[in-house]
Amino acid sequence: MMLIRAFFSHYHRHPFQLAALAMMIVLATMLWTGVAVLTDQARSSLFQSEEAVEARVHVVRSDGQPVNVDDFADLRMAGVCVAPWLEIQRPPPEGRVIGIDPLAMGCFGESAPGGNSGELDGAPFLDISNAAALAHDGYDSRLYLLANNEHVTLPEGYTVREFSLGPPTGELADSFLLNLDALSLLVLLITGLLVRSVHRLGVAQRQDSFDLLFRFGVPGRRVRQLLALELVVLTGICVLPGLWLGAQLAAVLGGGFGQALDSLFDVTLYAGSTEALPWRAAGIMVLLVLAVCLVDWLVPRLWQSAVGSGRGRLIAALILVMGLVSVALARELATVFAGTALVFAGIGWLTPGLLALLAEKLAAGKEQDGISPLTRWRRRELAVMFRHLALPVVALQFAMATVLAVQALVTTFENTFDEWLAQRLEAEFYVEVPSGVDAGLAGGLLENLEGLGAWHRVSRGEARIGPEGAGSEDGRVSADLFALTPIGELVFDWTLLASLDRPWQKVEQGGVMVNEQLARRQQLEPGDVVEIRVAETVLRASVVAVYADYGRPAGEILMSGAVLPENFSAGFESLSVNPGNLAMADIREQLAEVWNVTDVTVRDNASIRALASRVFGQTFLLTRAISLLTLVLAAVALLIMSWVFFTTRVWYFRLLGIWGLPTRVIRNQLRRLSVTLTLSVTVAALPLGIWLTWVLVSRINPLAFGWSLPMALYPGFWLELAVVAVSTGLLVAHLMRRQLGHRESARKVET
Amino acid sequence: MRASAGFTALFVVIVAAGCSDSSSDAGFAGLAQQVGGGDTSGFLQPRPGDTLVFPEDWGPHPQHRIEWWYLTANLETSDGDPLGVQWTQFRQALQPRTTENEGPAADSWPLEVAWMAHGAVSFEGEHWFAEKLARGDMGHAGATVDPFNVWLDEWRLESVPGSGKWRLQVEGDGWAYDLRLSNTGDVVAHGLDGFSAKSASGEGSMYFSLVDLQMTGTVTLGDETLEVSGQGWFDREWSSQFLKAGQQGWDWFALHLDSGEKLMAFRLREDEGAFMSGSWINAEGEVEALGAEDLTLTPASWTESPRGRVPTQWRLRIPGQQLDLTIAAPPGDYWNTGLYPYWESPVSVSGTHEGVGYMELTGYSN
Repeated sequence: MMLIRAFFSHYHRHPFQLAALAMMIVLATMLWTGVAVLTDQARSSLFQSEEAVEARVHVVRSDGQPVNVDDFADLRMAGVCVAPWLEIQRPPPEGRVIGIDPLAMGCFGESAPGGNSGELDGAPFLDISNAAALAHDGYDSRLYLLANNEHVTLPEGYTVREFSLGPPTGELADSFLLNLDALSLLVLLITGLLVRSVHRLGVAQRQDSFDLLFRFGVPGRRVRQLLALELVVLTGICVLPGLWLGAQLAAVLGGGFGQALDSLFDVTLYAGSTEALPWRAAGIMVLLVLAVCLVDWLVPRLWQSAVGSGRGRLIAALILVMGLVSVALARELATVFAGTALVFAGIGWLTPGLLALLAEKLAAGKEQDGISPLTRWRRRELAVMFRHLALPVVALQFAMATVLAVQALVTTFENTFDEWLAQRLEAEFYVEVPSGVDAGLAGGLLENLEGLGAWHRVSRGEARIGPEGAGSEDGRVSADLFALTPIGELVFDWTLLASLDRPWQKVEQGGVMVNEQLARRQQLEPGDVVEIRVAETVLRASVVAVYADYGRPAGEILMSGAVLPENFSAGFESLSVNPGNLAMADIREQLAEVWNVTDVTVRDNASIRALASRVFGQTFLLTRAISLLTLVLAAVALLIMSWVFFTTRVWYFRLLGIWGLPTRVIRNQLRRLSVTLTLSVTVAALPLGIWLTWVLVSRINPLAFGWSLPMALYPGFWLELAVVAVSTGLLVAHLMRRQLGHRESARKVET
Repeated sequence: MRASAGFTALFVVIVAAGCSDSSSDAGFAGLAQQVGGGDTSGFLQPRPGDTLVFPEDWGPHPQHRIEWWYLTANLETSDGDPLGVQWTQFRQALQPRTTENEGPAADSWPLEVAWMAHGAVSFEGEHWFAEKLARGDMGHAGATVDPFNVWLDEWRLESVPGSGKWRLQVEGDGWAYDLRLSNTGDVVAHGLDGFSAKSASGEGSMYFSLVDLQMTGTVTLGDETLEVSGQGWFDREWSSQFLKAGQQGWDWFALHLDSGEKLMAFRLREDEGAFMSGSWINAEGEVEALGAEDLTLTPASWTESPRGRVPTQWRLRIPGQQLDLTIAAPPGDYWNTGLYPYWESPVSVSGTHEGVGYMELTGYSN
């Protein structure tokens, strides 16, 4: 008992150190738990989404007429599992709602369309009777009869067609989860560094106590056991409030996350937490805290001593170079991640030492160089701080680099995507060609409409593409086919990543364009000749350009519809129309007449653009939030550490006063010291952040999804980070000044 | 088929949207415990003195809130192995309607009536079950008197023109049955000329049965199609409030005794005690209504199952008929795992009489 009291007497004398360690564990647990809960929820939500919005089939009438209630009843009584899907288009802000019949969805089992969201609140689902009432009020409506599989046996007069309940999500989901997983690991790494730094500081300061215990005959092994016990108890206690706070954090972020998922899938999918408290995340946190704090016992002393030595720096530099080379040459995603981890390890190892060396070198200048003794002192002190605060410095550096990279990626993506979307959505209206009708009839009609603006017909299907002379199917790969008829001004403004001269004219003459994904995968360049099998016909064509195609990994071939073989059967057809001087309602009416149908679905540019923009706009909401929170945590950790560190140096700073420096000058020196410290970290984070941005846009995206983004730098973000750094530095200086003032007052009272 | 929790939630939302909260508390057609009083305003409630009217009573009763067409059969395969079959179609109205009212147009996708059908096969200790749901007035679920037809999607019980027989076709996931039914007896009106009391305070239902159904046909289980034959029991019952507040569920038995006699008995479990009733049908088809003073019905053995603890063996005594029976479900799990799970199993009868029958237990699910 005496031993335990002696052991813990340090915290009795320095309760703030205990509080700092506890606070660090609480905050780290909070952030990690929050991220872990959100990632789990994202995973479970996205698994639901794959069921809910996966491509399905819908039953259509072979005579081209729209399906109605009688068709639904007839099909059900014939034993066909179909469920109604009544889409109502309303002008913004209400937008689209979808009427569904939960009673009819029983035969779909777990994979009911729209997911088992449990809410029929119009976001976007509502009971079909309410949707039907809206349709009766005059809103544009369209009934689909969804079937649960494409091999369904249908009565005569019906056939199935593909139907997508929402934008393709699989690739976006992968991207989203990859993003979150990588961020989670980084958060874990940063929190581990922070906890270890606080713990190590405490242990270093208690070394005298431990030595004393040793002299009293307490073996070192016993001291280590007590240290481990102390850590287990402290972690056990601190993890609980951290867990609770993490769950609250997840709940707060969950709203935005749910919104992101809503936008992504047009379906309310946010799964919510099924566990009261995320114990798995807590378990990982406890293990992490124990591992990072007790790693000294596990790693041979030789290694520990090597960390700060010249040999250690050499090893770190080698690791860094290995990482850089791995990332640059990687052909697999896993290699990129492994290489990135090596780079982080190398940089984390090197940074504090290099910064300290730099500070010492600057301090070693001569007086005739204009360096005042105070500046020399400050730089030496800075070098000491870089060494003592190595871990929080590295954590802050990593956090800042991550924030920089994520912000740059998101901004680049948004800008590029906006531009790309604007090119792709040049037409004002999009008309869906009803099933069973001849889309060519519409072409004849539109060609002869006077006053009509630009238009083209889009036919989508499948093709197989291979190099010239592939000869057999083995040499060809599947790709989506995107055919345009005619090639007109709606596409002339597309930005092409690479092209021959006058590419669109060449497409008209039989050339093809390929998207970036296909070009990368098949190593295609403009000028290459390829063989394309469409239906049963093999076409030989030149690649005339490579175009950007964001958000999905599928390869795509763009060609003129005029060169498609006659037996080509489009999976989906639409018309992109600028009505010019005509009213779209009139065009729609004439199309219905020429197709001999009563219902033609027309979507306007704004609603499609709004949907697509929302899809991507909110995808990164969570990423930004988590990276910013990580930065805040790292800044708080640096604040705590610096304060603790300054506290241990109070006696030393007080000497400045004894030497005759006015209080104002001392405070100024402290302010400059702390701001230089945090700003140096920011500067050290910049190259890592820029490199990480390059890794994200040029290495991870192409390998994971097949498309790359232009590399862009945003110095505005650097300034933002500098402001965070200066603020942290000033806050540290302020706290230090209070501490000094407090000690000064106490000393005066004592004398 | 397993209805997901989310789907259940959707269903409850739908039903609650169409009627009061209290009526959704009652479950579908009284299959769950009555929590509140049940909103029966506007619906007709059967009373003593109400009588059966044919052929109309084969069809739906739109002025009443709940009703069902229910058939159980104790069949045998050509090898002599016992096989049980159940089919039930429920109707639950969310608002009352006169018999002349044809209902709203189908293209408004109305939700004034909901239909639910259950089909099950019990064979060699295994139980196959499926559930179907539909909104009414759409055409793919309903019931008509002439020709007699009760259907939900492709499931149907219908009269076969010119044969005097009925045909029952049901298909689940990996199982199906197609059965012909011939009635050889008269309609059995339970209770007082068809009014069957369900509580001491007078609530009840209109209830009649066909207890002499001869059945033949096929039952398909996986890849195997079995020729079957045996005897069936068909019930028609309608009401507007089946369970009153405080009643937790019912234990219901329909027995074919080897002596040619038939017996229907039920027990409605209440907070304090139980309400019991039944009908004794002798070999000549004469019906004697049984009250609580005429019979005792007590659980003799319970079975623990993941879904709940169920009394699977019973003792039924009717002193007036020198009857002392032990009724037992065969080994196995016979839960109908739909929106409102309940136990539905064939039973064997021993004691003073031998026989077979069916047992339905509601209100035991966790």
